[in-house]
Amino acid sequence: MADVAFSIRPGEILGLIGPNGAGKTTLFECLAGVLPPTSGIICLDGQPLTVRSRTRTLFYLPDAIAPWPAQTVRWALDFTIGFFDGRRDLLGRVVDGLELGPLLDSPIGTLSKGQRKRVLLAIGLLTSQPMLMADEPFDGLDLRQTREVAAILQTHARSGRTLFLSIHQIADAARLCDRFVLLSAGKVCGAGTLDGLAGLARSKGSSASNLEEVFLAFT
Amino acid sequence: MRSRKGPWLWLLEKEWRELLASRAWWVLLFVMGPLVGFAFISAVRSYAEASGLGGTAAGVGEAFSPLVGIWAPTFSACELAAVFLLPFVAIRVVAGDRQSGALKLELQHAMPAAARIATKGLILLAGWLIASVPVIAAIILWRSYGGIIYVPELATVGIGHVINAGLTIGIAAATASITEHPATAAIVTLTATVGTWILNFIAAVQGGIWERLASYTPTTMVSDFQHGLIRLDAVIAAVTLTALGLALAALWTRLGVPVRRRLAESIAITALALLVITAGTATTKSWDTSESRLNSFSTSDENALRSIPGSLTIEVHLAPEDPRRVDLDRRVIAKLRRVRPDVNVRYQSATSIGLFEQTSAGYGEIWYDIDGKKAMSRAVTAESVLETLYSLAGVSPEADNGDIFRGHPLMARPAKAAMVFYVLWPALVLSAAIAIQGKR
Repeated sequence: MADVAFSIRPGEILGLIGPNGAGKTTLFECLAGVLPPTSGIICLDGQPLTVRSRTRTLFYLPDAIAPWPAQTVRWALDFTIGFFDGRRDLLGRVVDGLELGPLLDSPIGTLSKGQRKRVLLAIGLLTSQPMLMADEPFDGLDLRQTREVAAILQTHARSGRTLFLSIHQIADAARLCDRFVLLSAGKVCGAGTLDGLAGLARSKGSSASNLEEVFLAFT
Repeated sequence: MRSRKGPWLWLLEKEWRELLASRAWWVLLFVMGPLVGFAFISAVRSYAEASGLGGTAAGVGEAFSPLVGIWAPTFSACELAAVFLLPFVAIRVVAGDRQSGALKLELQHAMPAAARIATKGLILLAGWLIASVPVIAAIILWRSYGGIIYVPELATVGIGHVINAGLTIGIAAATASITEHPATAAIVTLTATVGTWILNFIAAVQGGIWERLASYTPTTMVSDFQHGLIRLDAVIAAVTLTALGLALAALWTRLGVPVRRRLAESIAITALALLVITAGTATTKSWDTSESRLNSFSTSDENALRSIPGSLTIEVHLAPEDPRRVDLDRRVIAKLRRVRPDVNVRYQSATSIGLFEQTSAGYGEIWYDIDGKKAMSRAVTAESVLETLYSLAGVSPEADNGDIFRGHPLMARPAKAAMVFYVLWPALVLSAAIAIQGKR
C-alpha cells in the first residue's frame, strides 16, 4: 500500500470500497495495529495516535474469524463486555436486533457463517471505543439480514459512534454509508460523498451517477 | 456499566475455560491415572519382593529407600507425560487464539502481551497440578500400606517435576507463538526434547564439556531431583529457560510489531538469559534432601574432607563409557564435588568406551594430588577413594555417630491401587469431561 490518506469524521459511516486484492483488509489491520505498517501515521484531532490511545479510540472487527470456538455466544458477549469494558446497557438491544437469542447457548464453533458474522457484529457493537472498524460486515448474511444489520448499524452511528466499514457489495455500501474511500491496488483513488465523487468523475469525462459507475470510473 | 471483574480476571477465566475445552488436556488427565498407577504398582511389587516377600532374601531391604524404590519410578510417569502430552496441551492453549482469530480481538486490549502469556502459563501449570492428582493418590496409598514418607525428599521430587513441567510449558509456549501452525510447534517442541536426549547421549560417549552441558538437560535435572538432590545451578537454568520461553512467546504474540524488531528483541532476551544461566553455572550450592544421604558422604567423612588443606586434583584414566568411570562419577566424584567444590577432576582417555585401552599402560589409574603430594589407586568405590585421600592428606575422620540409614523395607501388596488408577480415576475424568462438555 502507498499514498493512502483520508480522514474520518465523528459519527459518520465511512465505507471502504475496493475490488478483491485492493488492500482493504491490509489497510484495516494496519490501522488496528494487527499488521505493522512500514511507515505512516494515524492522527486523532491532529495528534498522532499512540498504541495505548489507539486501543481506546478504535475497535477492529476482522472478517472470517471464529473466536473462542468452544465457548457459547452468551459467554463471548459477556467476555466482550467484561474484558473490553464494553456496553452492558446495549446487550439486550444488540441481541434482539441481531436475532441472537436462540443462539446464546450455542458454541461459536458450531455456528454457520452468517450466524458467526452476527455474533462478531454483536461483539463489535458492544465494545465502547468511539470508532468501530468492521471488515465485510455483510459477508455471509442473506438479503433480509443485510438490511436489518444495516439498519442496526445506522442506529448505532446515530447514537454518536463512528463506523468505518469495508464493504465488498457496492449496493450495500451505497445504501448505508455517508462517505466513501475508494481503494484500488493499494492506493486511494477517491474519497468523499457520492455526489462529490460523481462530480469528480464527471469532471474527468465520465457520466457516472451512482456508486457503481463512480467506482468503475475511478478504478 | 463497568464490569466488577477486572480484565485480567476475565482473561484468567477465559484461559481456564479454554483449558477445559481442550481435548488434549482431558487426554492428559485420563492417561495420568493408568500411567502413574502402572509405575506405582510395579514399584510397590518390586519393593515388596526385594523386601522379602515371596521368598527372596530378607534383609536386603536394609538399604531400601522409598525415594529410589517408589517415588523415582512413580514420578517417572509424570516425566513421560511432561515430554509427550503436556506440550500438546500448552500448544493448544497458546496457539488456539491465533488459529481462531481471537488473538486479533484480544490484542486490541491494552494489556501487555507478557501478562497474557503469564496468564496462560499459570493456567497450564494449574492444569498440570490437577493432572498430577494420581501421584497424590499414590502417596496416600503408600501411607495406607504402612510405607514411610520422608517429606523433604518427596517434596524435592515433586518440585523437580513441577519445574520440569514449567520448562516444557515455556518451550511449548515459545514454539507455539513463533511458528505459524500448531503442528509445526509440536514438531519443533519434540525436536527440542529429542535434541536434549542426543546431548545426553553425546555426553555419555564424549564426556568433557558435553557432560557439563548435559547436566542442564531436563532429563538430568529430573534425575537429580528424583535422587533428592537440589542443584541451585540447575534450578537457575531451568527457571531462566522457562522465563525465556514465556518471554519469547510474549514477544511473538504481538501481531502488530515488525518481524525484524521481534527478532532483535528475541536475540537480546536470549542473550540475557544465557548470561544468567552462565552466571548460574558458577554456583556449586546444592542440597541433599534424601533421607539416605544418597548424594552425600557421611557427616564425619564430609568434615574430614573439608579439613583437608590445599588444592585437590584427581586425574582419572578411564574412558567416558567405562562402567568403572560411571561408578566413580556417580558414587564418588558427584559427592566429593558437593563437599569440595574446588576439586579439579581431569579425565584422560584415548577412546570413548576404553575397550581397546585396557592393555595400555596407565589405563584405569586414578591419580590423587593434594598440594603436590601424589597417590595412585585403581579402586572406584567411595571407601577406597576416601581412604586414599585421607592417607595422602594425613587426616582421619571421626568415628561415625551411628546415624546410618537402615532403609524401610516393606512387604506390602499394592492393594486397591489397580481399582484407583485403572478404574476410579479414568471414570472420574470421563464423568467430569462429559459433565463439563454437557454444560456448554
